[in-house]
Amino acid sequence: MNDDDIDSDATDRMLLQRMSAGDRGALGILYRSYHGRLCRFLTRLTRRADVIEEVINDCFWIAWQKAGSFHGDSRVSTWLMGIAYRCGLKALRQHGDEPVEDDARHEERSPAHDLDEDRELRDWLSKGLDRLSADQRVVIELVYGVGHTLDDVAVIMQCPVGTVKARLFHARVKLRNVLPSLAGDSPKRTENAP
Amino acid sequence: MTFPLDSGKDCVRAWEMMPWVLQDSATQEQGAWLENHLAQCAACRAEFAQQSRLRLALSLPADVPIDVDVGLGRLLARLDMPDSQEAPTRQRAGNWVSRALVAAVLVQALGIGVLGVKLWSVGGEPSYRTLSQETPSAAPGAIRVVPDAGMTLADWNALLHALRLQVVSGPNDVGAYTVAPVSSASTAQHALQQLRTTRGILLAEPVAATP
Repeated sequence: MNDDDIDSDATDRMLLQRMSAGDRGALGILYRSYHGRLCRFLTRLTRRADVIEEVINDCFWIAWQKAGSFHGDSRVSTWLMGIAYRCGLKALRQHGDEPVEDDARHEERSPAHDLDEDRELRDWLSKGLDRLSADQRVVIELVYGVGHTLDDVAVIMQCPVGTVKARLFHARVKLRNVLPSLAGDSPKRTENAP
Repeated sequence: MTFPLDSGKDCVRAWEMMPWVLQDSATQEQGAWLENHLAQCAACRAEFAQQSRLRLALSLPADVPIDVDVGLGRLLARLDMPDSQEAPTRQRAGNWVSRALVAAVLVQALGIGVLGVKLWSVGGEPSYRTLSQETPSAAPGAIRVVPDAGMTLADWNALLHALRLQVVSGPNDVGAYTVAPVSSASTAQHALQQLRTTRGILLAEPVAATP
């Protein structure tokens, strides 16, 4: 954890403390601060905007209720991600696993300001992630996207560190075999690398 | 878990280190070591370039548009909802299951109750007696008496009255009565002797002595 992480966690703890006293302003600040990364995290589980919003609100509803019982065993971000992950799994059970949308709708939803390069990158990533299981996508997002350690991911997913390691390993092996060809490069066979 | 590539130890180490170097959680020494290895290994360099691209792609904002203000507004509105309105939307699925379970338990309890009442009304005492069961205890000092068939009712009553006895059961199939002293003050032994000497009494035996 670097200095920025420590500062950010101290701020989050202070906001939680205010929330436990019923301060809705603090809830609003925390909500806005985490909205972007939670959205991105949850898009690895589902592409439905209504479900993502519902999960984010479920997550903060629980955080609001339990802010007073947060003991600081982990960082606030880890705690919130764990809640969001469990709410996300629950939503998947209710709505079905729909991680991929059709291309036409994808075009509609891509932000207007998306540069061609970004769009190409998203497409490349999306096709790669399609080859992974939901748990593998979550681990990849948490490690590469959010920047969590293996220990953090184990707390979030409530599983042993060994399980996280295995998921990360298999996800990386799958991606390394499909991503080069998806990018239009000549496929690099596994026996030649790294 | 085995490494998928036919690689040297350094390449395996580099593979494991890449995510942590990319997210800046590796130590400076680890970063320097990886940099040095990448300079010498083209395969790991290509892999690291792909990992960097993966991280870049994953750092792009979500492409599913969700309005943060609308979402926050809905959350705050939800906090204002009374619990009674909040609960049904959140627990609808669970409610059906628990309602079904409660209904099943109630039906079972009702069935057990009806069965219990039926069994109770059938009667407590069975109409048979097993050999292991104790015989019903006779009255203290009870005597089994067989009067002569010619004995008049008046003589029989007078005899019982004189000996302070009363009929507790009988007559049975052979015309035997069971008699017992009216009060504990009367002695059964004396009554027994008197009965045996009385004319018109064919048999007088204490019940307790009966095998």
